[in-house]
This record gives sequence, structure tokens and C-alpha cells, in this order.
Amino acid sequence: MAGKIVADQLEHSTAGTVDTQFVVNGSAKVLCTFNGTASGATVRTSFNVSSTDDDSTGQYGVNFTNAMSGTEFTPTGSNIGDSTTSLRTLGIVAGLNANTSSSINFATTEADGTGAYVDWTHVNTVVHGDLA
Amino acid sequence: MASILKVDTITGVATAGSIAVTGEGNSTTTNLQQGLAKGWLNFDATGTVEARDSFNVSSMIDSATGQFGCNISNNMNNANPMAMYDANGSSDGYNLTSGETLGGNGPRAAIVFQTASQFKFHVYNDSYIDGNHNNVGIWGDLA
Repeated sequence: MAGKIVADQLEHSTAGTVDTQFVVNGSAKVLCTFNGTASGATVRTSFNVSSTDDDSTGQYGVNFTNAMSGTEFTPTGSNIGDSTTSLRTLGIVAGLNANTSSSINFATTEADGTGAYVDWTHVNTVVHGDLA
Repeated sequence: MASILKVDTITGVATAGSIAVTGEGNSTTTNLQQGLAKGWLNFDATGTVEARDSFNVSSMIDSATGQFGCNISNNMNNANPMAMYDANGSSDGYNLTSGETLGGNGPRAAIVFQTASQFKFHVYNDSYIDGNHNNVGIWGDLA
């Protein structure tokens, strides 16, 4: 049977004490790493993600299983061009449309100054904020 | 009255590696293990590449100017964790995060290689350079 512990702090014997508010507020609520070059933005690893949208070249959406409490949460992102040591594929992840409580929409672009939308092989996004 | 839970390890009952935490709005739960960062690193690359502070990082890699990496203590469960990297403040004080420099051959910082136990990062501003503030975050499932 599952149990429930209600506590304001967690104390480790050597590592210190943390207020449980940091566990609740500080945990990432959404993680998603996907292949932007594949049709459908194929997910490699995710947490609290119901689906991804492949809207167009370099334009994606990530939809949440459990919604956030509003739209003022914090999504961040990065990308990796490929699994080599080449620098040729570094790019930028940027918000494309306004957040909703259950999704984010963003684009990945060239880092060459053109701002062109580009599909990268590893696109990463993480969301922090309050769940509904 | 504040309550303090004194423990060294928290383990789920039904599944050892899965504990639900009630969310801020009290209407749903989030998974404790999956939401936690599994590694983070702040390092100085201007001289000997060394960590200022870190979590779950066992050693640093200094491949060449502007080319670094780290090995982690507890491996991820596959080669597809989610990692982010940024760098700023090279030895000459140049701010790599300035938005005006993102075009052309301007500053770029990125993770360029990853396995379940190792990550490599590059920082570039017309050529590879050593920044004095480099930050890495790692999320995903531990082995």
C-alpha cells in the first residue's frame, strides 16, 4: 500500500537539509529530448510529455500530460547538431508562440546569423514552474 | 509546527525508483526522480580546467582550447539524457551570452557529444576560446 509523508524538511545524515518546497518547486515538470530531423519529432527521452508536434522545418510543439497552473512557467532549450565533435551544427532554440498551460511551441534556428529554421538531431527542452 | 524527515535514502514502495510528489496546485503529482537534475557543473576553463562546484561529476576533460568535457560518477541509463551548456566571460571579459554576437562566427556554446557517462562541450568565438564561467545541467534517467 502506498503511503504519504508530510514534511517541511528533508535531512540527510551528511549531505545537509533541504526544505521540501525546493523539491516541489525546484523539480523539472517537463523534460523532452527528441530528434528534430525525424518525421514527427521522434522522442528519445521524456517526462510528463503526452506528444510532440512537428509543425514544419525547425518548428515544434511539446504537449504536457499534466498541465501547468498557468502560462507563466519557464521553458528553456538547447540543441546538439549531431553526435560528433563538429561545431557546424550549433544552433539556437527560441520560443515561437505563447505558452499554454499544457504546451510549448518553439523553433530551432541556424546560428549563422540568417535565423533560418533548421531541424537538428538533438533538441532538448526542460520546463520549470508550478503544476496545476 | 515545522516537521523534519531525517533519512539518507527515500525509496518508493510500489516501484523503488518512482516517488510521487504533490504538485503546487494540489491537483496532480509529479515524479520526484524524473524531475530532479542528475548532474550540474560550474567550471573555470581559463587556466587548469577545474570545477568550482558540481554534483555527480567525477572528473573534467580538457581536450584543447575551448574544448572540454566531464565524466559523471553515476551513469545515466542510456546515451540520450538531456544536457544543456552555456558559457560566458572569457579570460578577456568577453560576454559570450550577448545576443548581438549570435550571428556569423560569433560565440557559440554547446554540448557536442554525449554518452551515458561522458559529456563534451565546445565554446567558440571565431576560434575556440576558454571561458571562465561554464555551466552544465543534466536531466534524464539514472542507470
